[in-house]
Amino acid sequence: MSNFTIPVGPLHVALEEPMYFRIDVHGETVNNVTITAGHVHRGVEYLITKRNVFQNVVLTERICSLCSNSHPQAYSMAIEQIAGIRIPARAEYLRAIADEIKRVASHLFNVGVLAHLVGFESLFMHVMEVRERMQDVKESIFGNRMDIGANTIGGVRYDIDPERIGYLREQLAALVPEVDEIIEIYRTDSSILRRTRGIGVLSYDDAIDCGVVGPVARAAGIEYDVRVKAPYAAYDRLDVPVHVLKDGDVWSRAMIRLMEARTAIDLIHQCLDGLPDGPTVAMDERPAIPPGEAIAKCEAPRGELIYYVRMTDSPKPERVKWRVPSFLNWDALGIMLRQAKVSDIAIIVNSIDPCISCTER
Amino acid sequence: MSIMPNDIETRLLEAAPAGIQFRAATDDKSVATAWCTLASSDNLLSVGLLLKRMGARLSTITVFQPKAAAVPKPKEGEEPLPLPTFLGGTPQDGKTYEIDYHFDIDGDTLTVTAHVAAGGSIDSLTPLYRAADWPERELMELYALVVRDHPNPQRLFIDPSIDNAVFERLIPYSTLVNSAASKSIWEKIMAQTGAPS
Repeated sequence: MSNFTIPVGPLHVALEEPMYFRIDVHGETVNNVTITAGHVHRGVEYLITKRNVFQNVVLTERICSLCSNSHPQAYSMAIEQIAGIRIPARAEYLRAIADEIKRVASHLFNVGVLAHLVGFESLFMHVMEVRERMQDVKESIFGNRMDIGANTIGGVRYDIDPERIGYLREQLAALVPEVDEIIEIYRTDSSILRRTRGIGVLSYDDAIDCGVVGPVARAAGIEYDVRVKAPYAAYDRLDVPVHVLKDGDVWSRAMIRLMEARTAIDLIHQCLDGLPDGPTVAMDERPAIPPGEAIAKCEAPRGELIYYVRMTDSPKPERVKWRVPSFLNWDALGIMLRQAKVSDIAIIVNSIDPCISCTER
Repeated sequence: MSIMPNDIETRLLEAAPAGIQFRAATDDKSVATAWCTLASSDNLLSVGLLLKRMGARLSTITVFQPKAAAVPKPKEGEEPLPLPTFLGGTPQDGKTYEIDYHFDIDGDTLTVTAHVAAGGSIDSLTPLYRAADWPERELMELYALVVRDHPNPQRLFIDPSIDNAVFERLIPYSTLVNSAASKSIWEKIMAQTGAPS
């Protein structure tokens, strides 16, 4: 068998966004992977220091579409800490609802693409059809299917009346058997299992070493979820089960996402059950933001999203730094792909649910 | 529930004998956030090692150049006032780099801050924390700060043909997109079609 190098990307059918992989293979087996990033580097971290605090709520929502709710949420949380703003209880619950709605849609999208990559096209279309219900929910409640504009500094920009709560519960009730059925298919179907069990393994020790987060970490046995470890919004009042598996393979990552999508539905119900009355923002007028610095974290669909904000006496931040979950998970890909078969490369890359726009900013 | 150890300040001081400034707060959801500024950036590795032994995870690294401290103009005949400094004596001249290492200790966050004067360098944390690899490579392309002993100091996002320290320079959009302003486009068109009569 001979050694050769396969270029994958920057544009490739298996990647929704551009990333270049230089893959050294021996016969059918991967020896080494070099990742070359930067094809969608937009300098958003520079741009954010040229806009004022409030304009940046809009900008952060546009860093990424799949976790578009997590960015303005973490950013707003950091600014609220600096300004000493305590958001109303109703806003905390509404933030959690928005978070979980996005999580269901994001996880189903990734798991659907997995079905496509293993060649199970009817399952791919079925999962995407189920996900479509959550897209409709987003459109009905927030007026948009991806960038839902739920957050503002001091609270949320949306509210739900009894009619919308009824609609949301109705949609969730219809979603439950559909998601349960999908979980059962991924748990038992031989064509899924054959292509995902024992593939792209990341051990517990490697996961700790790489510092991976989110479903990638939890599928490797790391019990870490920001919603439980560092609760924000209403999560300290919700019962949030953390799903953990031990094998660290592609299948485990998919199963974690499916179980979390199912749990997210329960969390939305918990929020609706406990939704307090009251205002949705802490103040009527835009607050003055004093100098200061703060850290804020939230559990985006792909894992821990962390924001650092430094304000001086200017209305524009001196520095805003954020680290998206994919940023850490990319590095682990080199370990997952080691000794993998060429035909599994796309499946393994998809299994970290990579977000390139997020990573490169 | 906060899991940050009670004696963390003492332990950090032992690891950073040049001195530290420490503050911590716990929010109403019992999540702790702590901030530790090092007087000397040379103590970074020993602090990193301490936190590694405590099971900390490096979340990310922030770098920026805090703006210069405002110094009142001296009156006639008086000596100009010296620039204020950060802990440890690095000048607040607008050029000094502030490097914030954000560590996660099971949900709590400890930010270790080091200051490095312009033209200086700092040790790489990558040998201790693999998760420092990409952030350190990124900071080297965004700023003219040198990371010592980085095992793989390759460009991460910015193309090697572009000079480093892009956050320290104003780069015109036309240069960035390599069309070098509309003037050169028109010059190119005119070279092909001839100047207008």
